Amino acid sequence: MSLKFIQAEKQVYDSIVFPAFDLTIAGGEVTAICSTVNIREQLIEIILGRSLLSNGEIQYADEKKLAFFFLHEGLHERLSVQEFLKFFHQLYQSKQSIEEITRLVQLDSKKNKKIKDLTYSEKKRAQLAYILIQNAETYIMEEPDQNLDVESKRIFIAVFNELRKLHKTVLVLTSHLETAVTVADKIVRLDDKGLQIVQTEEEHPEELQNENGKESEAEEKIVQPIRFEKIPTKVNEKIVLFDPPEIDYIESTEGQTILHIKGESFPCTFTLNELEERLYPFGFFRCHRSYIVNLQKVREVITWTRNSYSLVLDDVLKSSVPLSKTKMADLKGMLGLK
Amino acid sequence: MTFSWKRVNAILQKDFKDFSRNSAVSIIIFLPIILAAIYGRMGIDSLQVHFMTINMAFAMVGTYVQCCLIAEEKEKNTLRGLMLSPASTLEILGGKSLLTFVLTIVVVFFSAYLSEYRPASMGIVAFAIILSTLFYIGMGTLLGLVAKSVMESSVIVLPVIGVFTMGSFITAWTEKYPILKVAEFLPNIQLFELAEAVEQGAGFVQVFSELGIIGIWIVVIFALTVVVYRKRMVD
Repeated sequence: MSLKFIQAEKQVYDSIVFPAFDLTIAGGEVTAICSTVNIREQLIEIILGRSLLSNGEIQYADEKKLAFFFLHEGLHERLSVQEFLKFFHQLYQSKQSIEEITRLVQLDSKKNKKIKDLTYSEKKRAQLAYILIQNAETYIMEEPDQNLDVESKRIFIAVFNELRKLHKTVLVLTSHLETAVTVADKIVRLDDKGLQIVQTEEEHPEELQNENGKESEAEEKIVQPIRFEKIPTKVNEKIVLFDPPEIDYIESTEGQTILHIKGESFPCTFTLNELEERLYPFGFFRCHRSYIVNLQKVREVITWTRNSYSLVLDDVLKSSVPLSKTKMADLKGMLGLK
Repeated sequence: MTFSWKRVNAILQKDFKDFSRNSAVSIIIFLPIILAAIYGRMGIDSLQVHFMTINMAFAMVGTYVQCCLIAEEKEKNTLRGLMLSPASTLEILGGKSLLTFVLTIVVVFFSAYLSEYRPASMGIVAFAIILSTLFYIGMGTLLGLVAKSVMESSVIVLPVIGVFTMGSFITAWTEKYPILKVAEFLPNIQLFELAEAVEQGAGFVQVFSELGIIGIWIVVIFALTVVVYRKRMVD
């Protein structure tokens, strides 16, 4: 069972919410779409059929086989967990076992408690149980692990694994790359520029060492024409690879190198000097002792006094990066100014 | 989409549990019964008082409870979940109406019993009461679709309670203000007139016009509900 977006495109009042993209989500796979809140809400409205795509279409098996996990969902608060689940069990005439599901979301000790007496995380788990009862083919999850406690996050990940095993299609809509990396197999980023696939690699310590070993060898033979050009960052247990042009700027604070990408920051294991060397061919520039900036993204150079300057970037946050006096001369040289 | 009694039953059970634990709303069903008991003990035995408590039961249970049940689903954001489920709107409203219907009949029965109202012909009065219950439930559904929260529903239901409970007294002023003659067509006054006729020994045929007018009210209120539902559910 799969969910397919075919040349899906949405515009509102002549401004593009997202341009046309193709995406196929196969069964047994968890896919995450990382986007802004606006795009996320638009996507949900479209899948619900409350709003229409400007172009293209979305294909899925059967409307009744979609289950939605909304960020803001009301639960019947005066019912106990057991009664609540039983109600939806009857409503969907489901064949799932309520006990099994309660155990899966670990609410069996609280099943006689009223929903209004549960904590936020437990309510979210009750909500999860309720969409599991539906025994749908495709699950659409909006920010599944937002504001959850650690215990519940662990349970959610277990449930995602269970869904994978049952060969269900799962689409996670989130604005946090961290969530996406933790739960999903395939991550795409959707914004007004289009769809980009974010590459991830599972971290296997041994392989990592090997890789490092290979890389240092490669560095010894400096004339190697092909080099690995992605910049790895670490999010939880995974390594996320970024294309250099995606990076807005790189900062070093307290010995930690941090990549800034679309308003989010990711720690990186390389030092600024290593990165400067690697990124020089991509038009990156060491503008300050603790900053490297992507020159393609620079919009303005602001002169505060004769000795202090700033670069304003063209990114989402319009971030500004300091430019030191000595580097100003280099920059002018690069720009062809005297 | 097939109409399934299992789903209606599920909704009925859920709403019953929900309702019985919501003391703010469920306490209201005792009001007509207590009032009827007090009047009964005071020995007031006029048809007008009997029908005041019965009409109060209609307005407070049939209309107010139905209105709250619907408005609460909207307020708590649970309606979306129900709408996405296999249950159709008809089944959702059906389950709720069934609960309100049973409650109304029970409350009306106890009010009549405690105020010692014994109609001359049980069959005709019972039939008229069931018809009226349908009207008040339709009214409750209509208001429930309009109201956005339980708070709002308890405000908009006030004029309904006012007009339909106290309505029997309006007829006293028709001599002075002829315009109030229109009020004689209200379903509660029709019900009262029907009861009066029954006490004088009227059969089904004699009260046909009263039943007919109540029937027209039911058709009107259900048509209005459908129109409002179509409008509301578009956005």
